[in-house]
Amino acid sequence: MVPMLNVGIIGLGQMGRLHLYNCLHIDGVKVVAAADQSKKFLKKAESLGVKKLFTDYHGMLNDPKDLDVAIISLPNSLHRESAILALEAGLNVFVEKPLARTVEECQEISNAVRKSGRKLTVGHCMRFLDSIEHVKKHVDRGLVGSLEVITAEEILNGPFSHGAVPTPVPEWWFNPQNTGGGVLLDLGYHMIDLFRFFGGEADAVFSVLDHKMRLPMEDGAIVVLRSRDSDTKGVINVGWYQKSIFPSFNFRFIVHGNAGFTSTEHFTPKNLYAYAVKEGLKNFSRRIVGRKIKPLSYTYYYEQYVKELATFFDSIRRDMEPPVTVTDGLRTVEIISQAYKLGGLQQESFL
Amino acid sequence: MSSNVVGLVKVADGDITSSVENALGLIGFKTSRKVESVFIKANLCYYWDSLTGYTTDRRLVSSLIDILRKKYGLQDADIKVVEADATAMRTSHVFKMLKYEELAAEKKVTLFNLSEDKVIEKTVNVNNKEISLKIPKCLLNLHGKDLFINMPKMKIMSHTTISCAMKNLFGCMAAPRKIAYHPMLDETIVAMNKVLKPDLTIVDGIVALSSFPVKMNLIVSGFTPFSVDWTVSRIMGYNPSRINHLRLARREGLGDSKDIVLKGEDLSELRKMWPHVNAFRLKWQNRLQLKLLRTYCRIVGDVIPPFLEV
Repeated sequence: MVPMLNVGIIGLGQMGRLHLYNCLHIDGVKVVAAADQSKKFLKKAESLGVKKLFTDYHGMLNDPKDLDVAIISLPNSLHRESAILALEAGLNVFVEKPLARTVEECQEISNAVRKSGRKLTVGHCMRFLDSIEHVKKHVDRGLVGSLEVITAEEILNGPFSHGAVPTPVPEWWFNPQNTGGGVLLDLGYHMIDLFRFFGGEADAVFSVLDHKMRLPMEDGAIVVLRSRDSDTKGVINVGWYQKSIFPSFNFRFIVHGNAGFTSTEHFTPKNLYAYAVKEGLKNFSRRIVGRKIKPLSYTYYYEQYVKELATFFDSIRRDMEPPVTVTDGLRTVEIISQAYKLGGLQQESFL
Repeated sequence: MSSNVVGLVKVADGDITSSVENALGLIGFKTSRKVESVFIKANLCYYWDSLTGYTTDRRLVSSLIDILRKKYGLQDADIKVVEADATAMRTSHVFKMLKYEELAAEKKVTLFNLSEDKVIEKTVNVNNKEISLKIPKCLLNLHGKDLFINMPKMKIMSHTTISCAMKNLFGCMAAPRKIAYHPMLDETIVAMNKVLKPDLTIVDGIVALSSFPVKMNLIVSGFTPFSVDWTVSRIMGYNPSRINHLRLARREGLGDSKDIVLKGEDLSELRKMWPHVNAFRLKWQNRLQLKLLRTYCRIVGDVIPPFLEV
């Protein structure tokens, strides 16, 4: 029997709701509380069996006795405060990426983690993407030889993507005080984390920032990274400027070594619709024979969110270090801060 | 000149201004009266640039402003580029992100959010249904000294097959949650067109939208949105009389296809340039996919990602 973990979800925007739905499919997890300003989303949580509902997350964190874990999916500007309060309340914390807006805020969270003795992980979900897991296995087996150059690119619409039912882009995305940055702190964060995951500790050595969409923060960025531990270099190319409609997903991660190369493209289904049908049928069969389904496997890209949560819950139960630690979040933001400086932008000017 | 004349002009050598002049000349556009204010309704439905095929090219708007001032003597007219908030789009952001703020500063024109105007409620009968509309006062109070110009984008749309001149006037609705009208979208488009009567329509077909952006380099001009849409749907390879809002508009007396006079480019040649999308597929593919997804998730108990939730 898996010991039960009681979860409280803070923020029921798109990511918060996704985590809520995913928790319902993970063994040994019960979502007992949810906090959001939207009554509509609180009602949705209630309909899914969440008993304690709060319009202010402080209410949840002031009464943490039934909780083991807080999942934080708030605007970036609230990550620091909410994560620290949750840790002080004795909770383990999953915080959406980025860990926080600035290096200083990340350091404060890191100190709070040390003081509390609780576990904290950050939503570095792309480490759990199926095609990334395949590439990692190839690299770890030595199939590409020594890592020379990593190219990571993700060019999408970011917060400006259009859902199946049109909804306004949340206003906080237009305010750099709330976001702390643009595409670098959004998609760039993932790409830089992936570089560290493969190439070890790194620094930014070159950066170009772009403002195609006349936003107060950058909407395009190219960053060159250099590993501290090896000769590996990385080219990060990210943008918010490209119209993207699901299931199209303009992402690729290519690893060049002296013995060969590999890419996520080799492991990504060519036809995502056919893949969805295949995975849907598999889940249907699992359901018929009474086995557990693999939630969101039909979407290909969204399964990573289930895996990252399940892995974190597992590390709490086993009392082990989570695979993504507060240091990973802190270091990623430090590299982003370097990239801003190299691109001629002081991140502090946003705040 | 007949009010049902439609001009088709190709943009030659990237010279948009000359092409707009030609398009206006073809239909015999004149402003003999003293015009004090001009309202230009562009289609800025989302934060995607004109080269994606979704929104009106600001270069076209810029050229039209120049022509109105230089050729039609409207130097002193108060020119406003207008758009209303939409379900997913906020005008305050779209003006900036699509560089209309830069255009306004350069051409010394005003940008105006129709959703911030006083709203007049109007009920219009279409197809024996009472449609309640929320219309910005500024567009209802137009008189002889105002010029109302409709500048839609030429594109396909799953709900209405084509989205062009008539649909762009639906975008004038002050209420941001336009999605609320989608269950009776055809009737609402016709209702808006019964109330709002632009003096001129200039269609941006420079980069139009089929299932992907298409460089048509085309400008379509006309007086009645009905005639323009009828023509555009033919260019796109659809039978206009099978497009619901056009059929309904004809029945409601907004135009007659028999009277349309085409001038300029050969329509059949333009038709060859257009990558046709099957109307049935366009209308049903996404809906069918979402229905299948919901059915699958209900039976199997799988998760629907929030952005695919209806």
